[in-house]
Amino acid sequence: MVLAHDRALDISGPLGQLLPGGLVRGSVTVVEGATGAGATSVALTLCAAVTAVGEWAAAVDLAGTLGGEAAAEAGVTLERFAVVRRVPPDRWATVTAVLLDGMSLVVVEVPPRARPAEARRLVARARERGVVLVPLVGFPSSWPAEARQRVRVEGGSWPGLGVGHGLLAPRAPKIRVVSHGTRELVGVLAG
Amino acid sequence: MARVNWSASSPAERTLSCWCPDWPVVVARRHALDLMGQPLVVVESGRRGLLVRAASSEARREGVRRGLRRREAEARCPGLVVLDVDLGAEARAFEAVARATETITPGVVLERPGVLSFPTRGPSRYCGGDDGLTRQVLAALATIGLTDVRVGVADGPFAARLAARRAAPGAAGVVASGETPAFLAPWPVGVLDDPALASLLSRLGLSRLGAFASLPPASVLARFGPAGARAHRLARGLDEHTAPPAPPPPELVETCELDPPATRVDEVAFAAKGLADRLLGRLDALGLACTQVVVEAETEHGEHRARRWRHEGALTPAALVTRVRWQLDGWLTGSEDDDATAGLTLVRLAPDRVVAASGRQLGFWGGDAAAGDRADRALARLQAMEGPNAVVTARVGGGRTPAERVRWVPWGEPRDDGGGPESPSWPGAVPGPAPARVFESRLPASLLDAAGESVAVSGRGEASAVPTRLVCDPLGDAAVVAWAGPWPQDIRWWDRLCRRRRALWQLVARTEGTDVACLVVVEAGRVGLEALYD
Repeated sequence: MVLAHDRALDISGPLGQLLPGGLVRGSVTVVEGATGAGATSVALTLCAAVTAVGEWAAAVDLAGTLGGEAAAEAGVTLERFAVVRRVPPDRWATVTAVLLDGMSLVVVEVPPRARPAEARRLVARARERGVVLVPLVGFPSSWPAEARQRVRVEGGSWPGLGVGHGLLAPRAPKIRVVSHGTRELVGVLAG
Repeated sequence: MARVNWSASSPAERTLSCWCPDWPVVVARRHALDLMGQPLVVVESGRRGLLVRAASSEARREGVRRGLRRREAEARCPGLVVLDVDLGAEARAFEAVARATETITPGVVLERPGVLSFPTRGPSRYCGGDDGLTRQVLAALATIGLTDVRVGVADGPFAARLAARRAAPGAAGVVASGETPAFLAPWPVGVLDDPALASLLSRLGLSRLGAFASLPPASVLARFGPAGARAHRLARGLDEHTAPPAPPPPELVETCELDPPATRVDEVAFAAKGLADRLLGRLDALGLACTQVVVEAETEHGEHRARRWRHEGALTPAALVTRVRWQLDGWLTGSEDDDATAGLTLVRLAPDRVVAASGRQLGFWGGDAAAGDRADRALARLQAMEGPNAVVTARVGGGRTPAERVRWVPWGEPRDDGGGPESPSWPGAVPGPAPARVFESRLPASLLDAAGESVAVSGRGEASAVPTRLVCDPLGDAAVVAWAGPWPQDIRWWDRLCRRRRALWQLVARTEGTDVACLVVVEAGRVGLEALYD
């Protein structure tokens, strides 16, 4: 017998409506978006869903720029969220492969010009270990291997800030989810 | 140690347990003699802040208890001396106790600093019975200046520890062979050291070990699982494991050579971490769990040291690493003449007792205890590859800018989460949502006005012009469509050397694809990109 939560990780909230089947273990969900569009926040929301049910998530942070407070605000349980910071770009695949041995979800920033062979090896390893692999890439996408679904974050306007006055308020970026075999889902992620 | 006629219902091996009450207090007083006779507590950081780890008898008389918050302890007992916990010192001091006991029997097993035990079968016969043996142990410990020691003898380490708790200071509590179940019966179920199970049992009306022990074993296993069955065996005065602990196969020994020889604990501790992970990983693959381990070390001068450590239930990687660290601390930094005279060249971990692993234990809401171990092992391997500081977890604290508000704690180090609730408002903190990308060393940028001149901020915190363009590396040349600021910050204005002044801008820049919100800092005339709201 296989329980539902053994096969997929449920995502709650507005993002969950765009990912109706949740994140299937052993599959790849690419999160892509231009700089500042909100892709990092979406990836952190996925981590939050995983750590909330007592499982472990990790992120490969190539430049060491991931915001710890943003992770906490997204709802990530920080004790179960490991970050590997300042990874040399040529070692990203090695580091990710080790993380795939012990985590339930691994967010990995993919360096530009990553080799397709390395990416395919990681996909195979994630499938074998039953881990959700979330490559976090710029737009247009540079994930050189297959993916079950692609979450494209397209940004949006920022409320709250005026010309010379106001304060930045949480925004709702526009998201487009492309999955294999289903129609495209478009929605807005409430902040 | 293998018993020939072992059966699942034979009583546990007869054991002597030796307990030094309030060991942290004893150690603290040894270092500072003027603390003698004063009320004293040793605190450690727990989930709810600084909690009392051990209290001296003077403090306990005023109502200070273990687990109390520091502030409450100070309120109950004015003039209380509060000391921070020093696990290394506790372990070092206990090494002397282990050595003194070793003059009586070689089979000494350490459980934690403050508690040790050993099987009494041989030494008891040699000393003329359990009473003679306990007298010998107390005399041996009196020679190293320890008077407040409690010794208990009973069937199994669990009952022996309780017998020691019952004993008078400097005396022994001996439970006659075969009377252990009757001795255990009146104890509350809380002594099983499993708070979740104890609370469940008392809600079911089973508040004493005797009531719990009278349940049929099969029903206990069905209702409470392997952990409950283990507790049930303890309550009945049996060995905690159903199968006789078999001597493990010799090829499971894990060895690590240190070149150059290590003289400091932290040098060895990291190697020991890898060693412990490898050992438990191999045992795990064989479906075994380790309950007792021998830590061995060799020095440059050919000295050889070995010590046994035992753990209730099975050793987890974290528990094993802690014990190895305690032991190495005892050997390397102790002050006795018997200590290692040179650096360590070799550390070896040998499993001493292994039992069948009770399998993956699923939590009630689908959490997985084994998942934590698996994650631990993967991250430890990564630390061995990339260096201990490469793998971190975030800790959010106080500060003004996003970079100041986060501390990255290396994996496996205490997160010190006991600071209480995070301060709700930090004066001068950047308001609004937290940025998802933070540049610890700011990216150089330029903020320009309509005429193409750089926007400056005066000493009074006024901008020279309205910002219209932001030029920086990740965004290129972007038009500023909304902005707030500048917010001046005068940091440490009372300190002439450390004083810093800077001004913050919150901006929304329009690139070709999307609107990007960012935080820009002006300091000493230089503009830098501090964070991106990604």
